[in-house]
Amino acid sequence: MSFRARLLLGFGAVVLVPLTVFGWRIRVVMADRLTAEYQQGVTALASVIRADLDRQSAGIGLRLAALREAIGQDNRFRVAALQGGERTYLLDYAGDAMRLAGLSLLQIQDETGRIVSSGHFRNEYDQSDPALPRLLAAAPAGTALVEARGAEAPFLALARVDSLRVGGRLLTLVGGMAVDSSFLARLTPDSELTVAVALPSDTSAAVDPATQVVSALDVPFVTAGDSARLLPARIVVSHSLASLVALRRGVALSFLVAVLVTGLIALLLASWLATRISRPLTALAAKTADVDMDRLDVAFESDRPDEIGALSRLLGAMTERLRAGAARLREAERRLAMGDMARQVNHDIKNGLIPIRNVFRHFGQAAGESPDRLAAAFRDRQATVESSIAYLETLASNYARLYPQPARESCDVNAIVRETVKRVGETGQADVRLDLAEGLPPVRTDPLVLRRILENLIGNAIDSLAARAGSVTISTGANGQAGVRITVADTGKGMTQEELNRAFDDFYTTKPGGTGLGLSIVRRLVLDANGALRVETEPGAGSRFSVELPGEGA
Amino acid sequence: MNPQDRHVVLVVLVAAACRAGAPHAELPLPPPAPTPGDTTCTIAAGRAAARDTVTLAVTDPVDPGHAPLPRNDAERLVFGQLYESLIRVDCRGRPLPGLAATWEQAPGDRWAFTLRDNARFWDGAPVTARDVLASWRSHDATLAASLTVTGDRTFTVPATDAPFQRLADQALAVTKPAPGGGWPIGTGRYWLTTGDPGSPDVLVAQPMARTGQPVVKIATVPASAARDALDAEAGVLITDDPAALEYARTLAGYVDVPLEWNRTYVLLAPGRDKPLVGDLRLESLREAVRGDARPAEWSGPGRFWFADLERCGIPAGRDTLGAVGRRRRVVYKQSDRSAADLAARLVGLGALGRGAVAAGVPASAFESSLRAGTDAAYVVELRRRVYDVCRAALELPPWSSAATIEPLLDVRSHAVVRRGLPRMTLDWDGTLRLTQP
Repeated sequence: MSFRARLLLGFGAVVLVPLTVFGWRIRVVMADRLTAEYQQGVTALASVIRADLDRQSAGIGLRLAALREAIGQDNRFRVAALQGGERTYLLDYAGDAMRLAGLSLLQIQDETGRIVSSGHFRNEYDQSDPALPRLLAAAPAGTALVEARGAEAPFLALARVDSLRVGGRLLTLVGGMAVDSSFLARLTPDSELTVAVALPSDTSAAVDPATQVVSALDVPFVTAGDSARLLPARIVVSHSLASLVALRRGVALSFLVAVLVTGLIALLLASWLATRISRPLTALAAKTADVDMDRLDVAFESDRPDEIGALSRLLGAMTERLRAGAARLREAERRLAMGDMARQVNHDIKNGLIPIRNVFRHFGQAAGESPDRLAAAFRDRQATVESSIAYLETLASNYARLYPQPARESCDVNAIVRETVKRVGETGQADVRLDLAEGLPPVRTDPLVLRRILENLIGNAIDSLAARAGSVTISTGANGQAGVRITVADTGKGMTQEELNRAFDDFYTTKPGGTGLGLSIVRRLVLDANGALRVETEPGAGSRFSVELPGEGA
Repeated sequence: MNPQDRHVVLVVLVAAACRAGAPHAELPLPPPAPTPGDTTCTIAAGRAAARDTVTLAVTDPVDPGHAPLPRNDAERLVFGQLYESLIRVDCRGRPLPGLAATWEQAPGDRWAFTLRDNARFWDGAPVTARDVLASWRSHDATLAASLTVTGDRTFTVPATDAPFQRLADQALAVTKPAPGGGWPIGTGRYWLTTGDPGSPDVLVAQPMARTGQPVVKIATVPASAARDALDAEAGVLITDDPAALEYARTLAGYVDVPLEWNRTYVLLAPGRDKPLVGDLRLESLREAVRGDARPAEWSGPGRFWFADLERCGIPAGRDTLGAVGRRRRVVYKQSDRSAADLAARLVGLGALGRGAVAAGVPASAFESSLRAGTDAAYVVELRRRVYDVCRAALELPPWSSAATIEPLLDVRSHAVVRRGLPRMTLDWDGTLRLTQP
């Protein structure tokens, strides 16, 4: 994993993980506390509703008692009930009384359970419903929820029962308050709290604890119909957790936004930092990778004041030392090789000269002692001398074969100059001019060597312009009877004497990125071609390199 | 005999006279000449005093869109003053001149009619035979096609099996549309003016001719304010509210005249597969409503007109919903208190079984539900007497000919008439008309 990736991941982990943990913890604590508060609220409300129902029941009882008194004193009712007169008055009585008493349900039954008058459903008269008062009387506290029959629809009522005697007939009063949405709403002080009635037959009253907090209180319930029974119903107080869910969702969303924004900022910051740190390191690493024993001209200059700048400068100094060391090593190797070669040559030549010296010593001795025998001695030792000379010639040939000789062929200098200029001049970095003499004799050399010579000289001349306005001129001309001169002149910066003295040393260069081998190679190639290299230079005015090559007939 | 007793006798006479049988198709021709002083069909025929203005108070709404065919007692009272058919039929079933002054047998088994000389529309245009033709075209295209115009004021119609009295049907009243809509222009003895903008519930009808007839104001009052109308000295109050009637009986200046049993509430249920009220004690229905009611009974020959709709050739529509597809509701028009009481009583008695409910719906919703037959049963108020059964059958939903129609209650309204009011006569169909003093 790259340093940059590690930096990004590290930043992300440091910023995002604590933030996420913090947000999750806040959600949990908030949910626990609010749920507990809600539970407290619904439990308290359930207690209040119980007390309220008791008060309502007592109120219904008081109203029924008042109605009982009123009926007992109503002679018109008495006549209608006992003697059957004014039936309409009797039928309308419960409706009027119910409205006056502020009740929602009022039924007057006779002792057989026959409905004599009904306030909430006037036209159910003469129907029989004896179970209702009986079950109400049996309910705890005499109060129960009742599913009352209505013309338009049945409705739920909190009811209780009372009775009176009229002329020896027992009449039962069933009165109640409608338990409808407005009744339940009155029990609910808080819009977030809900009060609902769950009847025994209500299968949809199941409570989902994940969505609401619930408390319930039991209330007896009288079912409707012929098989009326007393069953338990429940008044369920619930607090929806929708607001809590919404709050949690809001918090989660806020945290998510915060995490995303923070993460994005962290990412950008980390990316910027990683770029600031890793880019120079990457560049430094790339430069360092370029360093080789054959390539020690990599520049590590840096003006950064930080550790990377220091490291860069250290690498530059190290490369400089390596370069110097490599030159010294190469020189030492060369000298060592030259020494070995000299010793070998010394040894081999001495071996060849020893017989010759002995022959000449013999000749000297013969000339001194008996000159007449000199000729005989010469004849006698001539073979030895010739053998030694042949040995030395063979030795020279063998040493000559240690250095490969370039292929020599007849070359048209102007053609090679044009071809080289065409290649080098394609860069368009400088104004390259040609001044070629016609009718030049061909030279015998390796065209590849000549091209390398020209490439190096022309390339150096273009580089010497260093973005200044100027030109490079290549000219050819005859040099003596059969020789040819090639001149590469520029109007560049020229060289000082000190630079000129070192110009042909290996690895010496004044160009950024230069190898310092160009002129060294040129000189060696020119010499191998039996030619000569001349330099004229002046600082600020330019340089003029002349290559003189022998003609084919030379 | 004191005046009050005389009124009672008159009321009894009117009631007895109006129990006469339905008009027959073979009525004698030519038209009768009304006997001067014949008060058989006159109600509250005390000493009439000339009045400039008479206020008629009604508790039902009056809808110009219904004109000229009334849908309730109030509209019957109002439209009766404004629109004319060719003939009238008095409470004893006798045809009387209306827009047509005379009629006689014509060749080709036709009746020839001659319009009244002074018959004019409210806008002053004389009524011609072509106006009759144009008006009928909008109400009964078949009848209009059979009309032949023979003169400016004369025309003939074929004498068919249909009763002659059908020409008294208010649906055949001659009208023409008013420019800009509103009340159709009629030919009656009264025409409607714009009235008082400050009292939109009061219609003002001016007499067409200056023959001493009073201006008539028709005030629509809520049922609960019927007694207030009496206190405000209304000339006539048409109501069935027991409290108002009881109050009227305490007022010396008014006489309570029970009108005809002119409406019957029926239980109309799509399909004939199941008796709806067979086992129920329908005699207890009388106590379910607060107005003047009696168990539904047909006192004349035959049966209720709606008991034999198939003879009109109305095809019995196919019952596509079936009993299962209908809501188990007894539906009634929300504004009809008697219908509400009846529906509640039927539910109380267990009609449609356990779980069925009564449902009051607005008039428009009631009409659309009734037309589609989407509920199990409907409490509907029908006219007891119709001149033309088949025309009346068209007012019923199309599935009625294959439906269960159970008569429940006959009801009637009362006219509380201020003493000394210009005379009023009662037609066979229950229409009250102010007559000339």
